[in-house]
Amino acid sequence: MAHRGVVSHRGPQPTGSYPHAHIHGNMVWVTAQAGRDPGNGELVEGGMDGQMERAISNLAAILDECGSSLDRVIRTQIMYTDPSDVDAMDAAYARSFHAPLPVRTSWGVKFLAAEPGTELVRVQIDCVAEVG
Amino acid sequence: MSPDPTITIKEAPEPRGPYVHARQHGGLVYVTAQIGRDPKTGDFVKGGFDAEFNQAIDNVEAILRAAGSSLDRVVKAQIEFVDEGDLDAMNRIYGERFHEPLPARTSFGAAFLWKGARVQIDCVATLD
Repeated sequence: MAHRGVVSHRGPQPTGSYPHAHIHGNMVWVTAQAGRDPGNGELVEGGMDGQMERAISNLAAILDECGSSLDRVIRTQIMYTDPSDVDAMDAAYARSFHAPLPVRTSWGVKFLAAEPGTELVRVQIDCVAEVG
Repeated sequence: MSPDPTITIKEAPEPRGPYVHARQHGGLVYVTAQIGRDPKTGDFVKGGFDAEFNQAIDNVEAILRAAGSSLDRVVKAQIEFVDEGDLDAMNRIYGERFHEPLPARTSFGAAFLWKGARVQIDCVATLD
């Protein structure tokens, strides 16, 4: 079965050896996205709320490039650095994901990858979605 | 309109966030990470790590049953826990609950889990 990596000009450019997504059969696996601006690669302002909203819009752009969309996401994983961010994380998530909702696993991590800019990365999200 | 691919049941703790208990796709069922919350009260079970992990697996089992699958059809499990002192208990309980053919497994220490949970487990299982 054919498979291929996808790098989109609409997502923040990868900072390591990974594409934005990998398509195999009728599924697409998307690399974890942080709240980086696709234009300048810098982390957006606005704490958890701003970062989560941008991370999900990066996912949406990458999914669209792959022929999928947020409403075809089957599963998400979220890693975040501060337990007090959980409500803001859920609120931003709920603004973007609608029924039928994906399954989800989230957990707290000690740190996330450093990115250009002065703010710390507070959250990242990856997903598996249906495509085609 | 295709049938709803999602599953959310009363026999597992009510979601406290924007997610469903399980979702079917391509002959597989994906299950949201479950923690040691009692499905009836929604509260964490008492009894520390052992009780929480057993309840979390009970919740996964109930969701799999509703989806038409079962623990012995799990392909992959993922476990996050917060205290490395719980590692032996995690392995012992997991060994009591999962049997051959065992799933592939990833487990690791998390900095924290939702509302102070000690452990959570998710999985992907087959439907046939």
